[in-house]
Amino acid sequence: MFSKALFFQSAKAHWVKWLTVTCATCVMLAIVIIVLGNLGINDIRDSLKNVFVQADQEATLKENAVDSYDLYITTANTNNQMDTFATLGSSYINGLIADYDAEVLRQTEENGELTSAQKQQIAETCVTNLLENMKQDPTLSVIFQIVDEQELKMLLVNVLKAHDQDASLTGKTLLMEGYYLTVYDNAYALEIADGKTVEEAIIKGEAAKALAKDIVSKLPGKKDDYSSDAANYVNEYMYTTVYNLQLGQGATEDDAKIYATSVKVISNTAISTYQLWQNEYNVDGEITDEELKLAKNEAIKSISDQIPQKVGEALTELGNMDMYGLIIGSIFYRIAGLLLPMVFVIMTANALLAGQVDSGSMAYVLSTPTKRRAVTVTQMIYLLTAIFAMFLLTTITSVIAVWVVGGNNFAINYAEILLFNLGAFLTMFAFAGFCFMCSAIFNRTKYSLSIGGGLTIFSLVCTILGLFGSSVVPSAMRISAMDFFNYLSIITLFDTVSILDGGLSYLWKFGILLAIGVVTFIIGIFRFDKKDLPL
Amino acid sequence: MEEVIIARNLTKDYGNGRGIFDLNFTVKKGEAFGFVGTNGSGKTTTIRHIMGFLKPQSGSVQVLGLDAWKDACEIKKHVEYVPGEIAFPDLPTGTAFLKNQAELLKIKDLSYANYIIEKLQLDTSANLKRMSKGMKQKTAIVSALMANKDILILDEPTTGLDPLMRISFMELIKEEKAKGKTILMSSQMFNELEEICDRVALIFNGRIVDIADVNKLKNLDYKTLKIEFNTRQDYLKFKRLKYEIVRDQEKYNQVTVKIKDEKINQLFKTLKNYSLKFISETKYDLEKYFKEKLMEKKEEKNV
Repeated sequence: MFSKALFFQSAKAHWVKWLTVTCATCVMLAIVIIVLGNLGINDIRDSLKNVFVQADQEATLKENAVDSYDLYITTANTNNQMDTFATLGSSYINGLIADYDAEVLRQTEENGELTSAQKQQIAETCVTNLLENMKQDPTLSVIFQIVDEQELKMLLVNVLKAHDQDASLTGKTLLMEGYYLTVYDNAYALEIADGKTVEEAIIKGEAAKALAKDIVSKLPGKKDDYSSDAANYVNEYMYTTVYNLQLGQGATEDDAKIYATSVKVISNTAISTYQLWQNEYNVDGEITDEELKLAKNEAIKSISDQIPQKVGEALTELGNMDMYGLIIGSIFYRIAGLLLPMVFVIMTANALLAGQVDSGSMAYVLSTPTKRRAVTVTQMIYLLTAIFAMFLLTTITSVIAVWVVGGNNFAINYAEILLFNLGAFLTMFAFAGFCFMCSAIFNRTKYSLSIGGGLTIFSLVCTILGLFGSSVVPSAMRISAMDFFNYLSIITLFDTVSILDGGLSYLWKFGILLAIGVVTFIIGIFRFDKKDLPL
Repeated sequence: MEEVIIARNLTKDYGNGRGIFDLNFTVKKGEAFGFVGTNGSGKTTTIRHIMGFLKPQSGSVQVLGLDAWKDACEIKKHVEYVPGEIAFPDLPTGTAFLKNQAELLKIKDLSYANYIIEKLQLDTSANLKRMSKGMKQKTAIVSALMANKDILILDEPTTGLDPLMRISFMELIKEEKAKGKTILMSSQMFNELEEICDRVALIFNGRIVDIADVNKLKNLDYKTLKIEFNTRQDYLKFKRLKYEIVRDQEKYNQVTVKIKDEKINQLFKTLKNYSLKFISETKYDLEKYFKEKLMEKKEEKNV
């Protein structure tokens, strides 16, 4: 089944070609990896990415400023209302607390220690009763014009909660404690709705509560319009926070000042914009929640919101593009690096059988006691040995090149580069099988070459055209109709994108490549046994 | 005598009247068998069947009792072959090629190969691609003969050889034959086959027209003589004698006589009294024989 003499005859006939192709491929590969590793082609990409990262940070900053501004205004107004409310309704609140305590005591005696949910239930009932009574009182019903009933209800429930924590609190302090709890709850609920963890939400809630307390401590006294105070406070607050943060991170005082000032500027811009838009919406004297939201959105706009969405998407994609994966995986291993081995396979597969039948030199082998099966099996083993050795050398070259440019710190790690080589070998195995089959079926070189070689080159050309429609090319340059070509090429089964993504879909595609090779080799061997040879 | 090669109703139809049709022949052990015919008559196709390169459409070829197609590999242990088209594997020199061939043939003793190389005055160190046609032919012959097997098959082996080389080649083949090898060879040259072969088959349009026994043709018991007379009287006078005249050319006073060997003396005694311009023997050879046979065939068809 194997003829040593024939194997060496083939090796002698093709070694120059083999050596040339192997050396050229290895040198190309080494250059590609080493040059890419040293040039840092991702610089532009990284700066592009930074623009978007900064824009994101800016948006967060602006949102913080606007939120703090809102909080200042609400807190200031609430503080004023609480003054009124405390004076007018201290007896009512005392009554409410007494009712609540009595009810809690009664139920505790009946059912033992109460859960917080049960206490909440009691508090809500007491507050509802209180509000009903307050509506009957003509002096107190004024309060409902200042404060929304639902908010008032929530506030009073919180007052009872605060009373639970510290029974010594009374009057306005207690009401303000209730307000702080409301602020905490709102901030907490927003964070949870944003998909943050409970811990993060608690931190945020605590921060909002602390901010509200700080605001109250610095209120300038009763005013109708707090907007300029709010702006000053928030700008100053942002400045101080960032300044301290920078110092804490080890920046120099000057640097911290510069950075904090730039943040202050951003904050100031956001708040001014916010105020302008509020005035804009406020022509009719009434500002709805919807309008407030629109004004806020305008205020927190960053660069990424100002460019058209499609351009933004394209730029983001460009920023996220893996240039190394594209050049090494999709361009070198699937196109440039395949071309020379492909030429070797086409020429050699043809010369191993069809070429010798066509010229008649096969007669010298077959007139010795050598079976046709031994001829095909030997030639197949030679072809496989040749391409295996070729890819063994490219594998060694690529591993050394990756090691030179930084090993696993390089954009493409050892595992990925090994899979690229394996994929290229399997692709070549499938092509070798196909060309070998054509060489075994046809007696004439011209048919063997035009069908075996033609379809192989066709596959490569389709992959080149298909590249312009594939996902590795940024959408700005992509012509999706070109993706059609990928369906015409065997090389599509060598899925470098899947290898880089860490998915596993490349595995079954490798399986198909292997199967194509095995089946075509077997067809070739069986066909050659049965056909007429013009020798 | 044992029959080494037997072809029974061997047919391969390539369409348009091309191919070989219903061939039957046998080659006996130690016999030299020849195929003669024009280009495209089917000589090479027949040989390819014997070598097991082609599968018969119907009929069969047996070599040493084995089927030429199914047991092609087994048969090659006893058959050596010089192909008609000379194209060598992609190897640098004649020496490299012959060494490789020896490995394929699993022979270690190259003394016989060297003997043939000397006999054919072949320089094996020459570049295989740059060899002249004659050198290639010689290299092919060496590669076939070096294993010294029982049956030698040659497809037009002398094409490309110069006349001197042809003579030493013929000697070589005769030597092989003397050793008792069975030889099957095809050629377009009648004289070549006549010289070596015991029997020669004429293939025409894929069919065997006739198989001639060369030894019988060589040892005919009569001669054909062409005689031209100087005078008309002598010519007419001779014609009245009772000799078998196969051709009569009155214009030149010429007759062609077929005469039994034992009557030759009598003829010359008679001719003593005639004035002759010349007398010559017309050789009856394979070529003539087959021409006659072909004519007969054509006439049969026309009738």
